[in-house]
Amino acid sequence: MAHQKQTAAEVLEEASQRTVTGAHALMLSLLAEGVDTLFGYPGGAIMPTYDALYDYRDVLRHILVRHEQGAGHAAQGYARLQNKAGVALVTSGPGATNLMTPICDALLDSTPMVCIVGQVYNKLLGTDAFQEADVIGMTMPITKWNYQITSADEVPEILAKAFYIAQTGRPGPVVLDFTRTAQMELMTRPFSYQKCETMVSYHPRTVPKDDQIRAAAELINKAKKPYILAGHGILISQAEAELKAFAEKSGIPVATTLLGMSAIDADHPNYVGWLGMHGNYGTNVLTNECDVLIAIGMRFDDRVTGDLSQYARQAKVVHIEIDPAEIDKNVKATAPVVGDAKEALKALLPLIDEKSHPEWRDEFRKYDVIEEEKITRRTLFHDGEHIKMGEAVALLSELTKGEAVTVTDVGQHQMIANRYYRFKKHNSIVTSGGAGTMGFALPAALGAKVGAPDRQVVAIIGDGGFQMTLQELATIWQENLNVKILILNNNFLGMVRQWQQLFFDNRYSFVDIKNPDFVTIAKGFHIEGHTCRERGELRASLEKMLNHDGAYLLEVICEKEENVFPMVPAGQAVDKIRLE
Amino acid sequence: MTNYTISIFTTNTVGLLNRITIVFTRRRLNIESLTVCETERKGVSRFTIVLKSETREQVEKLVRQIRKIVDVLAVYGYLNEDIVYHETALFKVSTPLGGPQLDIERVNKDFNAWVVHWGADYVIIEKSGTEAEIMEFYHYIKPQGILEFVRSGRISVSKEEKGLVEYLPEEGVWEIA
Repeated sequence: MAHQKQTAAEVLEEASQRTVTGAHALMLSLLAEGVDTLFGYPGGAIMPTYDALYDYRDVLRHILVRHEQGAGHAAQGYARLQNKAGVALVTSGPGATNLMTPICDALLDSTPMVCIVGQVYNKLLGTDAFQEADVIGMTMPITKWNYQITSADEVPEILAKAFYIAQTGRPGPVVLDFTRTAQMELMTRPFSYQKCETMVSYHPRTVPKDDQIRAAAELINKAKKPYILAGHGILISQAEAELKAFAEKSGIPVATTLLGMSAIDADHPNYVGWLGMHGNYGTNVLTNECDVLIAIGMRFDDRVTGDLSQYARQAKVVHIEIDPAEIDKNVKATAPVVGDAKEALKALLPLIDEKSHPEWRDEFRKYDVIEEEKITRRTLFHDGEHIKMGEAVALLSELTKGEAVTVTDVGQHQMIANRYYRFKKHNSIVTSGGAGTMGFALPAALGAKVGAPDRQVVAIIGDGGFQMTLQELATIWQENLNVKILILNNNFLGMVRQWQQLFFDNRYSFVDIKNPDFVTIAKGFHIEGHTCRERGELRASLEKMLNHDGAYLLEVICEKEENVFPMVPAGQAVDKIRLE
Repeated sequence: MTNYTISIFTTNTVGLLNRITIVFTRRRLNIESLTVCETERKGVSRFTIVLKSETREQVEKLVRQIRKIVDVLAVYGYLNEDIVYHETALFKVSTPLGGPQLDIERVNKDFNAWVVHWGADYVIIEKSGTEAEIMEFYHYIKPQGILEFVRSGRISVSKEEKGLVEYLPEEGVWEIA
């Protein structure tokens, strides 16, 4: 099979006349699902599958990461850009436990992922065999679904279910624990694959109910100060055009959540900024003044709401959400709409009155003026000695025309990146929101680049987070991926330091981080790099990074004790947002 | 605290019990009793879980989270008055020679309990009913000397005239009774 290049269709056609092993059935199932890329790391219990993979290397691109966590985050980055499940392939025991963080991350951030994990022989299950771990037990609370495959015959049906569950409804991670026995034994019938289109015990509602749509429309049309909160659901359902049309017709201001960034053009007249702990001033304060809150594809995370007992108490709430368990979970919905964001917005559009709400929208501008003066201008135009993180991001935004995919890690730089990057293109943000996983950005960026090879992908990372997964530089080099790495180095674990300063009486407990020479490290991985220390060379440094043919690491030395503002202190009301 | 009874219909899948109890554990909710059996439809299991809760809202959220589990077909929450419910208890009671005599007639007539096994110096009595009825009998029989006592989890059916087919609900819709 490996001698001459075949297409996936030819491989599948040929297989239908043969009896294959479970491992081959897995490969064929992946092909039947349209998978062409895997992120993985081999090991004992998954070896029969890797042996089969060798025969499919023309049609399945395998990207060898340097740690299983990298495989998971790369699959996540890939999934976000491709809007379909990313696939991770790892071995049992430690291979599987190393994948826990990405699985948990993918569940919280609704990212479709199918993780195939090796497992010991059937007869060894439960005996504490070498590299045996109870992967089903461990991943139960952090997966949308998991299943242990113990016979080859199960493979096609279970794979079909796995992709269906991962990719429909509210997307999420699925784990398949694949025993060595099932990988090695022959199927008892010829391979055939039927895509899963429905399940008895799982039927997500896509198209919302008419009465829910009508109730929502009525509430929206009566509103004097309506306010749209657009979340990740817009990106997932690719409802950007519908959101734009809805906002333009209704005249309603739109704010986005962290994961909803890039759902609407940053320069769109209806766009008023982003929400939450480090979101904008007006977007947070006016949450407590609007009369109808229209939440679309978001889940009222505590980083968005602050103190729930003081969150939008005056407002009636239209909650458009595909996961019924999110309705009323944190914020009581006056008019719940269960369904896909795109379908819901399509259904709502003809029922919505044409309006413009000029006075209400002006209120946001008033807060913008204050924020601009107190924060933005002081960040972007100052004569301090050190570069501020915001300057680097604002310049990056300008140089990439707001069209890059930004992949951010977790911490101060993440908040700054979303504050100062002006997104002009949809689906341009990959970040770890719900889980807040440091070390996410580098592997996620390489996955994003594989998923969107034609787009400029920039990983924006702090000096702390970079050191958690920096071994993936080797993967970037081996796969020749043109990923740009921007390290905003303040020589501190900055976000924790900021909290210690503000809420722990300046007691800087173990946040002072002594860093290696990042450029030398990159060189060791055959990746070009540069350290920028002066404001005067910031633009040229960024230009060099962006224009470099291939991966590039730019370290920008930033002001050490810069704080991120605005900030809603944890557990406080959104209108108690602090500007300094 | 109010008693709530949750009926969960699922496909018969390995590990599903664990998945359901995780929903309780994460929210630090205690399960008062739990019964699992296959229903009149092959391959469909029925879990009956009793819990105490301060608020109905908490139970509604719990039910939605359980409903979210793939392989769960339907979930219903009930208050006591919405259901017919029973538990069964077995009492191993001491009846030594020369000891206090067991008033079998009272046991049968007043308590609707039945001796199901006669030992040399003990009997085993089965008593079905609500928790309150069982405990009433417990206190009656206690002076006799209880050697062993075991009570089952609750089983219940709702008072609505519905078959299992109608229980397959529309997603996103759930009410207590």
